[in-house]
Amino acid sequence: MLTKKIRCPSCSYTKTVSGEPGDTISVTCDICGGKGVFKFPEEAYSAGASGAIEVKHLTKKYNAKTVVDDVSFNVKKGEIFGFLGPNGAGKTTTIKAILGFIRIQSGELKVNGFDVYSEGKKAKACVGYLPERVSFYDNLTAMQNMLFYAEMKKASKEECRSLIEDFGLGEVADRKVSSFSKGMIQRLGMARALIGNPSILILDEPTEGLDARGVFFLRNKIMELKKKGVTIFLSSHILSEVQAVCDRVGIIDHGVLVAQDSVSALSKKLDLKPKLILELESVSEGIIQSLKSVNGVLDYKVFNRTVHVTCKPDVYAKVILAVSNAGGNIVNIQTQIPSLEEIFLRFTK
Amino acid sequence: MLNRSVISIAKKEFMDNIRNKWIIILSTLFAVLTIVFSFFGSVFSTGWQDIGGTISSMMSIVNLLVPIIAIILGYSAIVGEIERGSMGSLLALPTTRLEIITGKLIGLGGVLSTSIIIGFGIAGVIIGLNVPDPDILAYLVFIAATILLGLVFLSMAIFFSTLFKKRSSAIGGAIFLWMLFIIIIPLVIQGMLIVDIGVETLLSGEELEAPGWYYTALLVNPGSMYQSIISLSIESLRNIGGIIRMTYPDYYSPLSLSLLLFLWVIVFFMLAYWRFSVKDL
Repeated sequence: MLTKKIRCPSCSYTKTVSGEPGDTISVTCDICGGKGVFKFPEEAYSAGASGAIEVKHLTKKYNAKTVVDDVSFNVKKGEIFGFLGPNGAGKTTTIKAILGFIRIQSGELKVNGFDVYSEGKKAKACVGYLPERVSFYDNLTAMQNMLFYAEMKKASKEECRSLIEDFGLGEVADRKVSSFSKGMIQRLGMARALIGNPSILILDEPTEGLDARGVFFLRNKIMELKKKGVTIFLSSHILSEVQAVCDRVGIIDHGVLVAQDSVSALSKKLDLKPKLILELESVSEGIIQSLKSVNGVLDYKVFNRTVHVTCKPDVYAKVILAVSNAGGNIVNIQTQIPSLEEIFLRFTK
Repeated sequence: MLNRSVISIAKKEFMDNIRNKWIIILSTLFAVLTIVFSFFGSVFSTGWQDIGGTISSMMSIVNLLVPIIAIILGYSAIVGEIERGSMGSLLALPTTRLEIITGKLIGLGGVLSTSIIIGFGIAGVIIGLNVPDPDILAYLVFIAATILLGLVFLSMAIFFSTLFKKRSSAIGGAIFLWMLFIIIIPLVIQGMLIVDIGVETLLSGEELEAPGWYYTALLVNPGSMYQSIISLSIESLRNIGGIIRMTYPDYYSPLSLSLLLFLWVIVFFMLAYWRFSVKDL
């Protein structure tokens, strides 16, 4: 089921409608009573045989240097896939290959079941793209820029207007892009990526250069899009961002995909466990003995007055009780779940 | 071929040049030049020259000016988008590289053609009102040949735009090509002609025939082909070659030369497409 906001051409009232890809529905405006029909796009939502993005054995060399080496992964429909890696690891090259921007030495790339190289137009019809370096035609206004891209995606002026307003740029729609701040350009870039209701969104460093408010806004937008069933391929080096929104992650290092799975599955693979961190007034031998006797404590480390206890969360209460019973005066309690940062650092050199 | 993407890109290029007033500037330049050359161009008479005389005066300046304008219009068509960072967003749309490059050529070709038609058109009307029996057909051939010449250099400039990574390199390359075709090759051909005929014979004052190879050599230069099309089409310009009489061979006709010039457009367009299609972005 898809949902879509449509605007009444007579009174500009916006209404949300639902339907299946290819459905044509009759719509009546709740305000002016105007009638019309709306067709949910077929191609933009069409489902391929398997994943939304399939990358098999991708290899890309620049001269003699291999920048992406036999990379394979699959992005499932409707998921948010985080693509991580240090600078120069091959993230952007992989994205460029998915979009057909570069020639590859070997591999097979499919978007919604369409081969990127032999069925490029069909593949790209399903995709919205936010590049790392967002750029527009400076001599045109925000609206003129949007209309240029919309024309090629067979989208309407109303849709452009609605997207511009959705991203809080309604008041500056008729201003030249050359006068826009970095944050405004980034938001306009997201609006452009969403022209034509793409079923797949490829975002290359979307929070780059945004302030905290901008990051918050974008994160909410991404979650909103996920709810609508949009598949999101998110490349970022801000790990907390990725952990906050992604269902699964792929980690690329020196051109090689070193890991791909959910954060919790990767934690398991690396045997990373949650930690309870207790800050005490002082640490005595009695406290340590008491700690050792608690069933479920896997490991512990003492740093001055702080004790790091590795155990499952359901053992936390028992540990705190044991420390208190042994005369420990707890000043501060913290918990630490395995972070993507730990996983990232373990997988990358 | 002329699908939505091609039309959108061509339209954008055209509208950009309306917005930045290039079309008005170029049209005005062409109109003013033609009127000035028609009114003041002849050293043998005063006042308005007829169409043949005007074209004769204009031919050399147009042969220099139109190619350089075409180069300025086209050199950044592809490399400019790449440098700006907008090519990625363009290629991420459901469009192909062939459509992008076709749209660019059509749009920029439209800018050049419109400027030539408006500029020379206005001047033609003014001249036509001031001279008896204006040769309208000859003037139309002049306009059409000028457009074709412009398209050859536009196509060349777009090819250079796909060849380099920086705009500065692209314009450098395109200007070198302009110098090669407009200055160096004609000079070399003229030099070869002098060597072939001999300086003494040349200075003897007798009427000379251009050798057969000379006509073949002219075909490697779009500027010479442009001049030949006009000379062949306008009776009064047939022997504009000076002391060397031009007896054009049978394969020289306005149509065959126009087709050859058009072939130049196609060849450079194909080269541009090939280069762009294998380019990593």
